[in-house]
Amino acid sequence: MRLPAALVAAACLIALPGVHADDDKELGHLIPPGYVPEEANDEKGLWLEFEEMEAQMNKSALLVRDAALNNYVQAVVCRVAGAYCDDFRVYVIRNPNFNASMGATGVMQIWTGLILRVSSTDEMAAVIAHEIAHYTRLHSLETLRALRRKMSKGAVFDVFLGAAGLYGLGQMAAAASFLTFSREQEAEADLLGVKLLAQAQYDPHASYRVWQQVIAEEEAAAVKREEPGIFAKTHPESEQRMGYLRTLVESRYGQPDAELVADQELLDVLNAHYVFLMEDQIDTNRFGRTNAILERHAAMGVDPSLVRYFYGEMFRQRNEPGDTDLAMASYRHSIEGGNPPAAAYKNLGYLHLKRAEMDSARENFGKYLEVDPEASDRAMIEFYLE
Amino acid sequence: MFIRKLISLALVATLAGCVTGYTLVQSGPNTAQDLRVNAGSGWNLAPAGFTMGARRGAQTWTQDGLFLNRLVLIPGVPDGETLLVDKSDSAALPAFRKNMLPNEIEELVESTLVKYFGEGNATVSTANLRPQMFGGERGVMFDISAKLSDSPDYKGTIGAFIADEKLYTVWYIAADPHYYDKHSAAADAIIKSATVVRGE
Repeated sequence: MRLPAALVAAACLIALPGVHADDDKELGHLIPPGYVPEEANDEKGLWLEFEEMEAQMNKSALLVRDAALNNYVQAVVCRVAGAYCDDFRVYVIRNPNFNASMGATGVMQIWTGLILRVSSTDEMAAVIAHEIAHYTRLHSLETLRALRRKMSKGAVFDVFLGAAGLYGLGQMAAAASFLTFSREQEAEADLLGVKLLAQAQYDPHASYRVWQQVIAEEEAAAVKREEPGIFAKTHPESEQRMGYLRTLVESRYGQPDAELVADQELLDVLNAHYVFLMEDQIDTNRFGRTNAILERHAAMGVDPSLVRYFYGEMFRQRNEPGDTDLAMASYRHSIEGGNPPAAAYKNLGYLHLKRAEMDSARENFGKYLEVDPEASDRAMIEFYLE
Repeated sequence: MFIRKLISLALVATLAGCVTGYTLVQSGPNTAQDLRVNAGSGWNLAPAGFTMGARRGAQTWTQDGLFLNRLVLIPGVPDGETLLVDKSDSAALPAFRKNMLPNEIEELVESTLVKYFGEGNATVSTANLRPQMFGGERGVMFDISAKLSDSPDYKGTIGAFIADEKLYTVWYIAADPHYYDKHSAAADAIIKSATVVRGE
């Protein structure tokens, strides 16, 4: 049963320029743990640029400093990285889009939108394994050298510095977009990533499942972004990659478990940080994507009170025909779930107000102030109560 | 997104030595279309080209430069339209609805500001939603705070009201803490003075 699948996988990989079916057998790390480049070469210069950006990143107001969240991500990085664990500094950045990135020095960014979108810690590990492979395969350096062959020596760093300087930190985005990885490098990172994932005892099937999530969300999006996240920008052929990864993994590791069960570790992280993670997503005003995320979270078993509250937020703000009824039902379910944000009462009250159902509005506004007596909008609510 | 385009424009203009388009805002009544406010001294009207995404008729004023503080006047936004203009049609800007309640206007501005600072580049939160009369119109005021990846934090005060089924908003946004505090009282007075001019 496995032979034909392996052949299909080989055929898929051969179809990618520069990647061959046997590559993943040989594919390994190009640098040892604790690697530091030699002084006075182009790689050292590249490191200096990333070190400067990392210093800026340390000061970013969007850096998530919550210990539990950082420990969760760091633990996944270390499990995947193994002996390379100490080579990576992980920065969780508050950004509702789906992305992770890696710099030449081992500085890694994980956007909160990634945490919001994975269905399991295995999927988180799959993305991290891919990024670690970029690091140990020296892809940033390779890209820089390829650029230098095309440009005059000085111009590369002038452009690099210009991009970083214009936007300050630029979230490493300036550098990352400047040093965009090639399709061949992405394929290498995919192959080595699967290997790292399996070695770390994570489910290798997560390597393509994460792409399935990306594709499903993109299909659900009502408005396409002009400038997608870096992950999307440098990974344009999602379906092709999902396909060949699936074929490869199934040929090597067999069929996946019939049922995907979200792990408690991820659920604990999501439940603890859900309000700020989803508020950032709601603020994007991208309801198709938000709906796809909420459907996934409901299936995963994220706290129903919280998921239902944000369904309410999404329906209320989307405001399509029938959405008010859906929003009111969602707020009620959130309240019945026993752990609603206080705003569930408030926003249910506002919807009753809109329908001139004054008693119900007052009842919910009153409950809101009872649950959150320090509410900053007390004056507004009391205005309506009076 | 909009802030970044603004930075680029400002840099280009500065390098070209042509930052001359600002005009002094006269103290007293000033109008942006039919939105009238009572200005204090020291405000400068920014050239229209410096306010990316601005609706026709909107104005941006500043005391110390657009990076440090700005007062944005957005006159009558009709039902179904957005507070900013996105020609690429990809920003997913939220639209005003004439039956919006105070919490919805607060959310409308919050989500718009996320796009204004750059989606993914900023988080925006609101607080202290409170009732406020604007001339004869019942409206709201609230405070905003924004955290950006590569800039100082910003704070702001927003005034908003609906008149003749259109939304009128005045934003004061400034770098926190110094520049916000510096003109907060003056901006607050301008926001509270906002009214609609009818039949004059």
